[in-house]
Amino acid sequence: MPAYHCSLPHPGSLVGNMAMLPLRTKYRGPAPIMAGDGIDVVDEALQFFKSNVFFRTYEVKGECDRTLIYVTLYITECLKKLAKCKDKNTGNNEMYSLAVSKFPIPGDPTFPLNAVYGKPKNDADLELMQQYLQQVRQETGLRVCERVFSTPDGKPSKWWLCFTKKRFMDKSLIAPSA
Amino acid sequence: MTGRLPPCIVDVGTGYTKLGFAGNHEPQMIIPSAVAIKESAKVGEQSQRRLCKGVEDLDFFIGDEAMDATGYAVKYPVRHGIVEDWDLMEKFMEQCIFKYLRAEPEDHYFLLTEPPLNTPENREYTAEIMFESFNVPGLYIAVQAVLSLAASWASRQATERSLTGTVIDSGAGVTHIIPVADGYVIGSCIKHIPIAGRDITSFVQSLLREREPNIPPQMSMETAKAVKERFSYICPDIAKEFNKYDGDPSKWVKKYDGKNPVNNQTFSIDIGYERFLGPEIFFHPEFANPDFTTPISEVVDNVIQNCPIDVRRPLYKNIVLSGGSTMFKDFDRRLQRDLKRIVDARLKITEQLSGGRITPKPIDVNVIAHKMQRYAVWFGGSMLASTPDFYQVCHTKAEYEEKGPSICRHNPVFGAMA
Repeated sequence: MPAYHCSLPHPGSLVGNMAMLPLRTKYRGPAPIMAGDGIDVVDEALQFFKSNVFFRTYEVKGECDRTLIYVTLYITECLKKLAKCKDKNTGNNEMYSLAVSKFPIPGDPTFPLNAVYGKPKNDADLELMQQYLQQVRQETGLRVCERVFSTPDGKPSKWWLCFTKKRFMDKSLIAPSA
Repeated sequence: MTGRLPPCIVDVGTGYTKLGFAGNHEPQMIIPSAVAIKESAKVGEQSQRRLCKGVEDLDFFIGDEAMDATGYAVKYPVRHGIVEDWDLMEKFMEQCIFKYLRAEPEDHYFLLTEPPLNTPENREYTAEIMFESFNVPGLYIAVQAVLSLAASWASRQATERSLTGTVIDSGAGVTHIIPVADGYVIGSCIKHIPIAGRDITSFVQSLLREREPNIPPQMSMETAKAVKERFSYICPDIAKEFNKYDGDPSKWVKKYDGKNPVNNQTFSIDIGYERFLGPEIFFHPEFANPDFTTPISEVVDNVIQNCPIDVRRPLYKNIVLSGGSTMFKDFDRRLQRDLKRIVDARLKITEQLSGGRITPKPIDVNVIAHKMQRYAVWFGGSMLASTPDFYQVCHTKAEYEEKGPSICRHNPVFGAMA
């Protein structure tokens, strides 16, 4: 039984070679808005996160998987930040600043997975990718924060923070030295 | 058979030796396979260093006493299942028989065990020790894997008692997959997996370390071991299992209370995901070991596929578990399911390649769990040695004196339904 893959239907539109999967979000951005309460890619990544994070290898089966990998890696980044937060409010602020801070995108020399992700074809593509990823980051941060702080005492849940040090595919979005 | 004392069963493993008398369900004693001797630090050959003037050669301990003895050198005569130091082995057997079993070796037949791929020369050495030093009336040397197969008969119908099957033997250090056909080990097809009890313990330990700060560092290993032994099980699907735990923690998360032996303070920890993640490394070795990534189900399939074609079906049909690390709840079900998937997928490809003209007969995959898994080897020996057939196949003292130690090179298979 290998790692879990994205099971969402392919949306048809791509950004780089990532699928531009719809999001259920209030943040503004280029992502198609998902109607209803269905599972979007962020939900799915959160659902598989605890299992997938143990895998050192991951076979990319399609464009949707690339989006899933990005969200999974970003969840780890969120957990690293949240481990230092005492309550939900500071957590939410941290999440916001992490999401809008400058981040490498596929094609940048500092992006860890350039072997798997294609770089944007032109400036418009680059712009789109940046915006889409930022939207994904904002929504992911919000939901991770929600789950991590869903404890009775308002402290971050140890059932999430214990995964902080795990490295999915032996990679992390931010180089350890940074 | 009347009036005969029961045979002694001695299963000397790398880590522990299991001792007892035939007919019992469990070994009477389980002791570390260690010998503590006095050895001078002089440079030179081993025999020179151990040379002594008086009765110092009687000054040694085995088992737990060896571990506690101070001023002695603790040695392990068995490495990787095979005896390395015959001099120590003889000492070890001496105390096993006289001090632990408290038996007169002249009165009991002996059943000893050997790992698969043991050399015939080693059997001769064993025979020399047993017949000449201890003067036993009869000796049989059984292969451990065959005894494991026999141990699984206890829970099954008499008609299904075959000596063909695949043995999965997992102890503390290493896991072996051993195919056996009609009581003979197919040596060229044996495979080893570097994932076993100790790896599970250290994986559980690493998970606990990242979450439970209350565990005193020096208790870390014992706590992990206790968690592994008491709470672990195998789940069908880890993502679903994670969701179960997150959805209803009160039902799944257990509490464990320990006591720090240094300051007698108690500590309490939550046992969560490691309950199913620990044994999961059999099926996802990459979780714990970056160099080895083949799941156990795939290794078993490879082993059977390497075997001669005419025994493959019976090998799939009778997969027997043995050793402490196979005792996790539902280990058998998970292995059977994963293996069945691999086998069915292959049959499907065959069917497709033939364009639908050939429909292969489905292959029966059966993984057998039984109550005697922990000491399967010893129990198998105890069972076989209490049958009348045992005395027919044993090498006797008279035979040994007539022909010499070479008679023990071969030990005929017995006990199977012909």
